[in-house]
Amino acid sequence: MPELFSHTGVFIDLGSQKARVERVGRDISLACLGGRGMGMHFLGMSPRIDALDPESPLVFATGPLTGTRIPSSGRMEISAFSPLTDTVCSCSVGGGLALQMKKAGIDIIHVKGRACRQCMIMIRDGEVTFEDAPPEEDLPLSAFFERLKPLGASAAAVGSAAFKGCRYASILVDSSFASGRGGLGLVMASKNLKALAVRGSGSSRRQALDREAEETARRDIIRLFDASPFIMGRSGISAYGTSALVDLMASYRMMPTANFRRTFFEGYRAFSGPVIREQYRPRPSACPGCPIACKQKSGIEIPEYETLSHFGALNENDDLAAIIESNRLCNEAGIDTISAASTIACLAEIRQERYTGQSLVDRVRSILGDHREAELLRMGSARMARELGEPEKAMSVKGLELPAYDPRGAYGMALAYGTSTRGGCHLRAYPIAHEILRKPVATDRFSFAGKARIIKIAEDLGVVIDSIGACKFAFLAASLEEYARGLSAVTGLPYGTQDLMRIGDDIYAMERHINSQRGFTRKNDMLPERFYKEPGSSVPGIDIPPIDRGEYEEALDRYYRVRGCNPDGTLSDERRKGLGTCFVR
Amino acid sequence: MLRQINKYLGKLTAHGLISNPGDAQFYGLDDEIYSNRDRIPEVVRALFDDLNINSLLIARPEPLRWAIIGELIRKRPETISPSDSESLTFIHDIPVIRSFDAREIAGALSRRKGCIVEGLGIVTAGSVALEQAFIVFSSICFATFVKYFADMLSAMSGAEGSPEPSPEEIAACRGYLSRIAMNPMTPPLPGSLPTGETEIVSAMDAAGKTVVAAGLVDSFFGNISAREGDHIYISQTGSSLDELEGHIDRTAMDGSSTCEITSSSELCAHVRIYELTGNRIIIHGHPRFSVIMSMAGGRLAFGDTRHIGGVPVVAGEVGAGARGLVHTLPEAIKEHQAAIVSGHGTFVASDTSFHDAFVRLASIEEMCFHLCIKAVNP
Repeated sequence: MPELFSHTGVFIDLGSQKARVERVGRDISLACLGGRGMGMHFLGMSPRIDALDPESPLVFATGPLTGTRIPSSGRMEISAFSPLTDTVCSCSVGGGLALQMKKAGIDIIHVKGRACRQCMIMIRDGEVTFEDAPPEEDLPLSAFFERLKPLGASAAAVGSAAFKGCRYASILVDSSFASGRGGLGLVMASKNLKALAVRGSGSSRRQALDREAEETARRDIIRLFDASPFIMGRSGISAYGTSALVDLMASYRMMPTANFRRTFFEGYRAFSGPVIREQYRPRPSACPGCPIACKQKSGIEIPEYETLSHFGALNENDDLAAIIESNRLCNEAGIDTISAASTIACLAEIRQERYTGQSLVDRVRSILGDHREAELLRMGSARMARELGEPEKAMSVKGLELPAYDPRGAYGMALAYGTSTRGGCHLRAYPIAHEILRKPVATDRFSFAGKARIIKIAEDLGVVIDSIGACKFAFLAASLEEYARGLSAVTGLPYGTQDLMRIGDDIYAMERHINSQRGFTRKNDMLPERFYKEPGSSVPGIDIPPIDRGEYEEALDRYYRVRGCNPDGTLSDERRKGLGTCFVR
Repeated sequence: MLRQINKYLGKLTAHGLISNPGDAQFYGLDDEIYSNRDRIPEVVRALFDDLNINSLLIARPEPLRWAIIGELIRKRPETISPSDSESLTFIHDIPVIRSFDAREIAGALSRRKGCIVEGLGIVTAGSVALEQAFIVFSSICFATFVKYFADMLSAMSGAEGSPEPSPEEIAACRGYLSRIAMNPMTPPLPGSLPTGETEIVSAMDAAGKTVVAAGLVDSFFGNISAREGDHIYISQTGSSLDELEGHIDRTAMDGSSTCEITSSSELCAHVRIYELTGNRIIIHGHPRFSVIMSMAGGRLAFGDTRHIGGVPVVAGEVGAGARGLVHTLPEAIKEHQAAIVSGHGTFVASDTSFHDAFVRLASIEEMCFHLCIKAVNP
C-alpha cells in the first residue's frame, strides 16, 4: 500500500497525560478513507457510551487529500458523540489545523480521558506535551488565539460556553473556523481540554504519486468551478459568501421565520449579500488551498447564510448590526449560531415575545449567564421546550435545531432532515443543490418522487466528501468523478466513484447502526409536528402547504428499503452483515 | 417515474438522437426499478446493484451518429477525448468498452458518466434524476459528432500530428455530410421586441423551442436572454431551452439581488454585451458546424480573433474565470451582432426581435455547414 495513504494516529489519554503514536491498520485506512470515516471507526468501538463520559472519544482526523494540489480539500473532521442529540456527530471544519497535522506527520488525533485541571495539548512534530490552561471565564476566543500566535501553530479551542455546560458549544479552529453543530465543544470541555495546538515542520505540500494525473484532476475541477454560477458567478459565493443565498431563499418562500411559523420575512433585504457589501465592504477569505474563498471578512466576521437568516428572519429581526454582534458573541464564546438563534426563537415563541435588535443581543449574552434563563438557553431548544412544557415548539430533529431551509419549501430537504444521522442538518445530503440551485440537475422541490434514493446517494457522497477532506461547496460544481481521479493520483490507488460510494454507504450505514444502538428508531426520523400541520407563507405562484405526513412516511419507508433498514429504521440483519469488518462491533 | 421515462424517450426521438423510442432502454430506480421495457435484464439489475445510481439509459443513436461513432472507435481507442470545450469541461472523456458486460460497464461508469459500448450503443447513468442520463447521452452524441468532423478537417489540412486521411476515409466523410440536411421547418418567431414580463417570458420560451427544433443546441446547453430597462430575463443554469417555462430568472443589470445565483453561467457575458451594445436579445446555441469550423485552423490563443465569413471567432472558457469568454466575447459581438466562441458555440444578439437573432444563428450555422462541405471537397 502506498505510504501516502496510511494513517498515523496520536492517541492521547488526558487522565494519565500520556500519548502514543501508532499506525492505523491498513484495512481500517482503506475502509475509512480518513476524516469522518475514521471518526466513525473510533465511535463504533464504544457505541453506547455517554457523550460526556471521560472515556468517550474525541477524534480529529484529516483526509487523504489534505496538503495536495486538489482544490478545496484542506478540511478535516472532528467527531464525537453529541451531548445535544446523543447521536453520532462529526463536523467538517476548515482552517489550517489539517495542514499542520499533515506537516507534523499526523493524520488522526484521538483524545479520551479527563485532565484533572484545565489544560492544553501541544503537538510538535509528533511530540506531545500537556500545558496548564488556567480558567479565564471571560477571555474571548479571539484573544486566546492571539496568545497562541507566537507558537506558530494551528489550534482548535473551546470558549466559555463549553465550560458553562452549553450543549451546543462549538470548537473553533484558528479563531474563525467553527466546528459548530452538535455541541462537540462541550465534549472537549468535559475532558478539561481548553485547546489543542499542532505545529509541524514537514513540507506543506504533499507530492502525489502521479503528479500529471493530479494536475489533470486539478485543472478539471478549476474549470468546473469557473463554469459554476453558484461558485464563481457574479452573485456566487466567492463574491458574497453564503449570504448570496439570502435573496434566493426569500424569493423561494422558504426562509424560516418566527420560529418556523412562517416561511417569508419581509425584512430579509436588511441582511442580504448586496446590503452587507454596501455597509461593510467585506473581502473574501479562504481555507488554505481553496480558490472559492467563501468566507467574508471586514475587520469583523460576516456571518454565514444560516446565521444571518436565523438571527434575522427566525427571530423576526431586521437589524443587521444586531445579527453581526450576535454572531461575534457566539464566536467569542464558542457557541453554535444555528442552535443559539433557534433556541432563542423557540423561547420567544413560548413566552410570546420577540427578541430583536439589542434584546436579541442580550439573549445571546445571557447564554453565558448564571440565571434560570441562561440555564434554559444552554440546554438547546428541545430540552428547554420540554422543560417549559411545550416540546412541540422546538424546531429540531433528534434534538438538533433545524437550519435556514424550511422543509415545506423543499421535500428532499424535509426527508434529509429526518434521516440525517446527526439530527436536523442540511449538510448531510444537501438536497438544496438540486431542489433550489439546480445542480447537477433540477428536481421538483415539492415532490417526494425519487427522493428516497437521491437522498441516500447524496448521504453516501457526503460521507466521502467529509472523509477525503474536501469541501461540500466544491461539489456544487465538480463531482466525485474529478475528485476520485485526484484521490487516485495522490494515493496511487485506482479509485472509481463507485468504489468511494460503497465506502460512503458503509460508513453511513454504520452511523445509523450506532444510533440504533443508542435507542434511535423511526420516530426520531420524523419532523416537528408543525411541518405536517401548518402551511408556510404562500404567494400567488408559490404555494407552501403543510407537508403531507402520509407522503413523508411513504418516502421514509422507501428510504429505509434503499438504505437496507427495517421498517422501524434500524439496520436490517442482512445489511449489518454486509458492513466491513472495521465497522461491525 | 414512468412519465419521466416517456418524456425523455420522446425528447431523444424529437431531437433526432435516436430513430425511435424502441431503440432505447431507460431505467429509473427509487426503491424499485421502473422502465419502458417489460423485463429488466440481469445486466441492468447487476448495474443497479453495483452502482450508486438511480437512472440508466442504454440506447443506440440514430444511424448517422452511430456510424460516425463507429469511425471514432474503429481504431479501438480506450477513450475518446472530445475536442469541444463544453464537453471537455463537463464529460472530460468517453470510455469505450467492447462488450455489454456488467463488470466492464460498471467499471466505465465508475470513472465517467457515460460510455460507448462497441456494437451496442451508448450507456449513461445519473445519480439524481433521469434527466442526467438523457443529458450525458445527448452530450456524447454532440461531442463525438464534433470531434469526428473537427479531426477530419484538421487531418485534411495537414495539421501537425494529424495523420493524412485515406481516400476511403475522405469518401466516408463526404458521404456523411451528404446525409445531413439543414434548415428543418420551425415555427415562426415574433418579429418585434416583446415587452412586459408575460410577453418576454413567452417569447423566450418560443425562441428556445425553435432553437432546439432547428438542431442548433443539444442537451441542456445554450442560453437565452432579453433585456428590458434595468433588468434581464435569462434562462436558468442547466435549463433545457425547449422547456424554459418556469425556468427563467429576472435579474437586475447592476447585480443588486443575488437571486441570479441560479441564472445561466453566461450571465456575466450577457450583461456585458447589453452594457456595450444597444441589443435587447441574446441567443447562445451550440450549432454543430459552427463549433466544428471554429476549431478549423488550429488552436486560437486567448485574446486573438479570427473570422469565418466575417463572423468573429474568439477564445474563452465557460463562465467568468480569468480565461472566461466574458473577457473576449462582448467586444467581438459589437460589430456583427454575432460571434463564435472557438470550440464552444455561437452567440447572436438583436435589437429588433427574437426572429432576427434566430435567423442570424441559423444562417451562421448554414454558412459553416457549407464551408465544411467545401473543406472536404476541395
